[in-house]
Amino acid sequence: MITTTATTGRARPSTSSLAASAKFKTFVVAFGISAPVMYAICVLWNLPLFTFHPATNRIAWGWEAARSGEGPAMYWYGWTATVIIVAATLGLIATTLPQSITRKIPLVLVWLLPLLAIPIMIYTLMPFWTHP
Amino acid sequence: MPISVNTFWTILLIIHGLLAVALLGALTHQAVSVLMPVRQAVGPGGFVTRFRAVNGAGYATAICVLWVLTFIMGAWIYTKYRIYVRIPIEQAGYWKTQGFFDLKEHVATLGLLTLPAYWYLWKNAQKAEYDGARKALTVLIAAMCWFLFLVGHVLNNVRGFGS
Repeated sequence: MITTTATTGRARPSTSSLAASAKFKTFVVAFGISAPVMYAICVLWNLPLFTFHPATNRIAWGWEAARSGEGPAMYWYGWTATVIIVAATLGLIATTLPQSITRKIPLVLVWLLPLLAIPIMIYTLMPFWTHP
Repeated sequence: MPISVNTFWTILLIIHGLLAVALLGALTHQAVSVLMPVRQAVGPGGFVTRFRAVNGAGYATAICVLWVLTFIMGAWIYTKYRIYVRIPIEQAGYWKTQGFFDLKEHVATLGLLTLPAYWYLWKNAQKAEYDGARKALTVLIAAMCWFLFLVGHVLNNVRGFGS
């Protein structure tokens, strides 16, 4: 038997001071918006913080091509590191802005931008989809 | 007792898989609870009702921890995958399979990057103005998790460690 009182999805107020902090909200929203944009930029323009060479366990700063006889190069770790650092920095900068500005940042972007980044990633992988 | 290199990496892969199963279960419960919230049940409901009747907010921190742990394990395994799995897959000409793996790495990172906002929105689930973003973000990362899980599963079938 069902009544009309909703019970799920509406929790009690959080006791965490972090969750109650307006500055933390600004940080997570700015981080959540800038991170997928930065990730797309890092992949499209190939901007890893470092390159990892798994066959030799060698790490090089920035982008470095695979060397002959040393196996493949991996950039994904470097892209992820670049994005986390840049997005966290932008998030911290956003916390210094007045709330009258940060309140206007649309929350919809925290899920819409990651969603929009996916077709861009699919596009970057076009050689795999079209390989004969 | 020493273990072989193959066994070591297979154990890591299994841990990665088990963490992914836990994450997938938690996220699916939570996503269903926001898509089809149960109104207060007076009597016992059926399986589906009980499945979607969870308190989603109670899952948020666990989901963040599980996503990060699964991500770290996957990133660790990836160092060996790149050489011992990916190269044979390319040599066999499974280009679309490899494309899906590369898409998996992108989706895993995009999901990871949403976690701070996801956690914040769930920890403030009492605020009605966050409902839309919280529901959409939860459904998005649940869909991402299903994609990651299925691609990982298929890839392991194509060429898992030790194959």
